[in-house]
Amino acid sequence: MDGALEGIRILELGQLVSAPYCGKLFADYGAEVIKVEPPRTGDLSRQWGPFPQDQPHLEKSGLFFFMNTNKRGITLDVTAARGRDIFLRLVQQADMLIENNHPKQMRDWGLDYPSLSPVNPNLVMVSITPYGQTGPYSDWNGCDLNAFHLSGASSRYCGRPGDVPLEHGTFAADFYGATTAAAWGLAAVYGRRQAGGGQQLDVSCAEAIAALFVGSQNIGAYAQDGKFDRRTGVGMSLGAPATILPCKDGHVWILALEPGQWNGLARVMGNPEWMQLEMFQEMLVRAQNADAMYPLIEQWTMEHTKREIMDLCQAAGCPITAVFTVAEAAEHPHLKERGYIVDLEHPALGKIRDLGAPFKLPESPGGPTKPAPLLGQHNDEVYGTLLGMSSAELQRLHRDGVI
Amino acid sequence: MAKALPLKGIRVANFGWVWAGPVTGQTLGFLGAEVYKIESRARIDLTRMLPPFAGGVRDPDRSISNHAGWAGNGSVSLNLKKPEAQELARQLIAKSDVVVENFGPGVMQELHLGYEDLRALKPDIVMSSMPAAGLYGPLKDVRTYGLSLSSITGIDSLTGYFGGPPIPFENAFADPYNGVMGAFAVLVALSYRDRTGKGQHIDYSQQEVVMQMVGPAFMDYELNGRVAGPMGNRHPLAAAAPHGVFPCAGEDRWISIAVATDQEWRGLLTAMGNPEWAQTPEFASPAVRVRNISALHERLAEWTRAFNDYELAQLLQRHGVAAAPVLNVADLLHDPHYRARGTFIEVTHPLGFQETIYGAYVKTSRTEANVHPGPSIGQDNDHVFKELLGLSEERYRQLIEKQVIY
Repeated sequence: MDGALEGIRILELGQLVSAPYCGKLFADYGAEVIKVEPPRTGDLSRQWGPFPQDQPHLEKSGLFFFMNTNKRGITLDVTAARGRDIFLRLVQQADMLIENNHPKQMRDWGLDYPSLSPVNPNLVMVSITPYGQTGPYSDWNGCDLNAFHLSGASSRYCGRPGDVPLEHGTFAADFYGATTAAAWGLAAVYGRRQAGGGQQLDVSCAEAIAALFVGSQNIGAYAQDGKFDRRTGVGMSLGAPATILPCKDGHVWILALEPGQWNGLARVMGNPEWMQLEMFQEMLVRAQNADAMYPLIEQWTMEHTKREIMDLCQAAGCPITAVFTVAEAAEHPHLKERGYIVDLEHPALGKIRDLGAPFKLPESPGGPTKPAPLLGQHNDEVYGTLLGMSSAELQRLHRDGVI
Repeated sequence: MAKALPLKGIRVANFGWVWAGPVTGQTLGFLGAEVYKIESRARIDLTRMLPPFAGGVRDPDRSISNHAGWAGNGSVSLNLKKPEAQELARQLIAKSDVVVENFGPGVMQELHLGYEDLRALKPDIVMSSMPAAGLYGPLKDVRTYGLSLSSITGIDSLTGYFGGPPIPFENAFADPYNGVMGAFAVLVALSYRDRTGKGQHIDYSQQEVVMQMVGPAFMDYELNGRVAGPMGNRHPLAAAAPHGVFPCAGEDRWISIAVATDQEWRGLLTAMGNPEWAQTPEFASPAVRVRNISALHERLAEWTRAFNDYELAQLLQRHGVAAAPVLNVADLLHDPHYRARGTFIEVTHPLGFQETIYGAYVKTSRTEANVHPGPSIGQDNDHVFKELLGLSEERYRQLIEKQVIY
């Protein structure tokens, strides 16, 4: 069976998370993705790790491995005149370019959209940056952390009042930007004939979250009433229980808002008398009295393990779940049965497990089947077949440090 | 601008409710698809009941808390408990390209709208089912809200103050994320259909999609057996220091600062006026800065405290340091960057009131996204039932009276 996106050729000129994850989504569903890395050092994620035994090694970065499965990798110095010429020849043969460089950097290299569009009017260029291509912050230096906290998400939704607003402990803004770019980018390729050609998509990781997440439920309300909520450190302000509580061996997400769920939780807890009190009878009222209620629930959770609590509560119709550690999530039998954890073989890392396709397409399965490329692994293949370069020519370019 | 939007001609029957499913419809709608959310007054989508309401009038068509997230969707109203309504839904699906739903596994079958039923009507239909944990497996019936869904991915175990317990993210971050990835999934399947003529049933597990965000921590577990805990605002791979959020002058004002390179570090030092503490060996290289990050953050916080957040961001940016103010909800509407990019727009709802929603959050150079306000219940009934499905006026009235169209 073919990959769903077979026939689409993509160039990726990106590093770290946002552009590479976007490229990975295409590669894992069958598109031909050619990743272009600077010679010698490669994508910066090769230096970020995590590395086995914390020993830095350009070919052993876990982040690079995760972000670049199924891609072909070439090296090219696009800052050199000859390198740029070669890049333009690749652009001519591509449906899409995914990149996450600073906008000024792309202009300096002569690789901004106005420069590339005449070379290939059908090119869909997807530019993913923390702040976007326009607006007063577009020239700013930035990374995932800055984008996330510029979105309004942390100030409203994560952290204790008066204390530091928090991110998720991962590259959440980069992932949001990457996914947004993938959806809009694929649409632009899919409907290219209809739309009359290629175009540039300007994706800002901060804006994607500010709009889709924070904007959705907050902006209309603020615009109308001039009021807005701040993080509580506890959970929802409109309903309770909705919080994380400790238990015997970790933590659980306690969520029982609707009457049936609240009654289910009561049954599981042995119908304690306090749950009959007027102050706990409706989810909004419970939220107002959450400070009094959470310690009472916690007395019960502390007597049980997270698995027990999840099993009992789920059976009683409550959307209560264990807070899985990364290991517990990865080793859960559910994901095993669904084949979400896949085995790969990497020349430097050896046998290694990876997360599989994010969604299942029965007719055209996706997911990582080939490990991330070694630095310059596919130079001969790509330059030879796609651009018809001779091996003498390739050797020359290699010697001159262009590839 | 272009002749047509990329997805013009694609019709979507969107059974998605609450947030994730509607955003899938929205994304496809912004890009030119004709999208109908199928809902009913018999079981009103719970987000329609969330305050605040436009003009303070409590009505399911006036809940502005989620109107932005449903923009781009149209709406037809069908009471799917009734067989005649199910039949109308099937007729609409027979004229559609895509079906989206985010109920639990089995619900669509009970409504006689399962994939096998739909494929018999329209062999190349693309159906995306987006339950919490996929269509099969021991956890398939797990009950979650978007709030708690993230706990079974591992991501909640990474969220909290460094060294402390996990802290709840107080809204369903996963929902709109899944909405957008859901649109990508549909487009991947449509691309396959274009090439082969075959539709398919997408088994979309929200858990597995969100768990991809845990990839970096999963790799550390896989390579080193290390299981990460709450990270605060520290760099997930300890590749930068400082990397955090620091207090500024005023109530609840903060700035994010990240330094990954020596050049950025020198920029930070210059901006701070080269204080003595920063020249000591404990901060002399990236590696030792990461090792001494707590002390470094404490020192830095003493310095940032005196500054206005926006002014400090400007100062640091002038020295090449990745820094930006931490914005709150109110800031979003006033911030010059979001204003310049037209992130939020004021629109007139079909019922006549003004509201502020988000516009095209991706800027497209050729095709301008089609943004229109979230629908009132059944706003497209006339068009869909009479023009598209060809019901006579009499039959249409009858079905409304019988609360089939409801």
